[in-house]
Amino acid sequence: MIDAWFTGFGLLYPSALYLFVIPPLLVIAYLVRERPRQIVVSSVIAFRALQVVRGKRFGGRPHLNITFLVELLILCLAVLALAAPYRLRNRNLTTLIIDNSAAMQARISSGQSRFAAARQQVAEAIGSNANEIEVYVTSPEPHRIGTFTSTGEVMAALGHVSATDAPDDPVAIAGLFSELLGKRQFQKILFVSYRPVTVPSSAGVQSIVVGAPISNYAIGSFVVTRETLGAGEVHGRVTVANFSRSPRQLDVIITADGKLAGRAGGQVAPGRTAVLDFPNLIGAKVYKAQLEPTDSFALDNVAYATGPAISSVSILFVSPTPADGATLRSIPGVAVTTISPADYVPTQLPLADLAIFEYAVPKQFPDLSSLLILPPAGDPIFHFLLRPASDLQITAWPQTDPLTAGVNFRLLNLRQGAYFGLHSWMRPVVGGSQGALILTGERQGHRFVATGFNPLPYLGRKNLPMSILTLNLLSYLAALGEQATSFRTGERWIIPAGVKEVVLPTGGREAVQPSQPFSSTYTQGIYTLIGSGSASVLRAVNLASLPTSDLEDVAPLRIEPALEVSRSREIVTISLTPHLLGAIMTLLALEALLVYRRSERY
Amino acid sequence: MLGLPEQFTPDFIARLEQLRIKTRREYAGLGKGSHLSPRRGSSLEFTDFRPYALGDDFRYIDWGLYGRTDKLYIKLFKEEEDLLTYIFIDASGSMGFPAIDSKLEAARAFALAVAYVALAAGDRVMVRVLGGKNGMPGSAFVYGRHRIGELAHQLSSLTPSGEVDLAPALARELVSIRRAGKVFLISDFLAMISSVERALGLFTAANMDVSAVQILGATELEGHGLQGDVEVVDSESGERLRVVLGPRERERYRQTLSRLSDEIRNFCLRAGLRYVLYKTNQDFHAFFLNAATELGLVH
Repeated sequence: MIDAWFTGFGLLYPSALYLFVIPPLLVIAYLVRERPRQIVVSSVIAFRALQVVRGKRFGGRPHLNITFLVELLILCLAVLALAAPYRLRNRNLTTLIIDNSAAMQARISSGQSRFAAARQQVAEAIGSNANEIEVYVTSPEPHRIGTFTSTGEVMAALGHVSATDAPDDPVAIAGLFSELLGKRQFQKILFVSYRPVTVPSSAGVQSIVVGAPISNYAIGSFVVTRETLGAGEVHGRVTVANFSRSPRQLDVIITADGKLAGRAGGQVAPGRTAVLDFPNLIGAKVYKAQLEPTDSFALDNVAYATGPAISSVSILFVSPTPADGATLRSIPGVAVTTISPADYVPTQLPLADLAIFEYAVPKQFPDLSSLLILPPAGDPIFHFLLRPASDLQITAWPQTDPLTAGVNFRLLNLRQGAYFGLHSWMRPVVGGSQGALILTGERQGHRFVATGFNPLPYLGRKNLPMSILTLNLLSYLAALGEQATSFRTGERWIIPAGVKEVVLPTGGREAVQPSQPFSSTYTQGIYTLIGSGSASVLRAVNLASLPTSDLEDVAPLRIEPALEVSRSREIVTISLTPHLLGAIMTLLALEALLVYRRSERY
Repeated sequence: MLGLPEQFTPDFIARLEQLRIKTRREYAGLGKGSHLSPRRGSSLEFTDFRPYALGDDFRYIDWGLYGRTDKLYIKLFKEEEDLLTYIFIDASGSMGFPAIDSKLEAARAFALAVAYVALAAGDRVMVRVLGGKNGMPGSAFVYGRHRIGELAHQLSSLTPSGEVDLAPALARELVSIRRAGKVFLISDFLAMISSVERALGLFTAANMDVSAVQILGATELEGHGLQGDVEVVDSESGERLRVVLGPRERERYRQTLSRLSDEIRNFCLRAGLRYVLYKTNQDFHAFFLNAATELGLVH
């Protein structure tokens, strides 16, 4: 493909040079058919004394015509541009991978953060030989931020980068190394991180470790749960870790909506974790756990949690037999609104925490977690396949599922009902002899449970397993006992149904679409999910990564020997066509100027 | 006013009123006027004696001479007549180029200014146009200052056209002119010097008092817009010359035009003719009044 023109240059389409036959033809045409500009003058008497051009005939002496020469030059350049000339250059590519994960926020002895120190060391490490510097950062996931041609540009670009609250992902970083090493296009890879890298020396990877191992105390997790229906108080649980070489008294202070709610502490051995319980925290929207003493890595000394979504459960009971709902009112913390299926309208759903459809299904997909008791066959919304039976037999149930926890199904004596066939998106939880008896699934951020029997008439002391099962169903649908701090920095969410906007802890706002992944989770704090109207849900996002908090014993990043490659210096082609086109445009402008000046009327 | 060009402001007309044409010779006119005529007449200008003849007016007998010679002689005086003024305007094609210079406009203004001076002084004026089309004045003399408007109207639609060879064209005009007088020839004189000399020589041979007015355009003199490889086309003959004009050529072109004007001027000086050169970028009022003497006009 490449025919060397002379050293360092070449033509992509050398056959285009045959077009250079055109300029001589143009010159011949010019000599034959050249017609100068005509000017009518009062008399030619004064011009007779001037030297008259003898080039009117072919073979006459051609005279200098700057316009023609410009056009000839433009044509030559155009022909050359068609040949696509290029220049060969050795690519001296330096790849810089700078760690901006949460651990780089830790402060070193000088008082500055590890990331700030890393930026300072980058300029010296790049050196002056690199003519192309490709810069990657590692958080929230390894990605390239640009390719630059000088150290100054790199520093300017890094000036806009900061360390995130998200932990690094050694697997993803190793994957980036694999990709880069596989390309063989670099002169060297510069990895600047708090984490050392072990790689074969021939791979051309230079590791710069920023910051020495330091002692650190961290909050590993912070969970607030409401364990029973109707309870006004919640239970907090904090995991603390001591990543130092000596035992340490670690205290945690809990504030609820800014008010002091609890304090607990304990002695934690080196390298160990401890759990601190706060059994009677007051109800609040936002809880904050602060670890004492503080240390040089402040991020993991704080954790957030949100209060359980609901303290009492409001149930919309839709049934042709309203008397069945009476038993629900006997449960503490449960309020029941009973309507018939004919009176049900979807706008009533937002007023409740969950809905129960007995012998009925909604006319459109409910925007609320719902329990469907013996739904009618052939409904157009859920498309249940039902097989009625007069004597239901339970044959299988999981032991650890929240729906079946504590329920002794052997004691259940179910009579008539229906078995479910296979469902497209709901999974069987409790199985019977001829099919599933309880199905569950999640859609559009809501939970749905369908039962092939009716548990409500048996609620009460007379049928304890059925009562436990009913409470399990309600707790599951009302999301009681959920971990409120299960979200970590750097992890993506799926946006729940109805949410249109997310307010970040930094105050920034992002418009979102339900069911779409949300990845701007690299800041620790409280995120507000705003739906239609004024409805909003708080979501706490924490670092919650003890491996990241372990700054005393940092695991090195290992690049497998299989990835060892021999580097080869890449030769890149730099097209000269843009320069030629620029020259052509300049010459066209010059010609236009010449023509304009000549067009001044005599 | 009276259809005169815009140059004829009231102030300028008032200045023209104070001028009159002065010739280097005495010409016979067609009626009473203010110019001495070669005819014997009743002016105060004495010219000769002749012996008394029966019937002569006794008032013209020179009694002093009779006392000295004892013979009766009659004193003869010159007649004062009007001046026959001929104005020739070159309206050939060359007067239309370069169009930006408006050479014919200047020639028309010059002709009307001279005509007004003559008419205001009681002289007779005949305007003749060489070449051109439209606006050809009649072949008769006009008399009286009120006729200036008529002349202006006739010349207003005159447009440059055609090829005019001065010598033959003027020779034809002279055939139709029976009486000598003052001639104003207004042209760009862009012809071979020999042709110009022959043309002007015709008038001197016919005992005319000639004032030659050469009008050249400022753009034409400087050669503005002439640059590069051009083919110049003669506006009259259509002759084509291909030249390459650079700064050096333009300078030679200017020198050639200047030399042409100098040769015409020198010829006029040698032949006793009056000559002025008007460049169209000059102020018409100032130029005309300042050049009045050179044109043969006096206060």
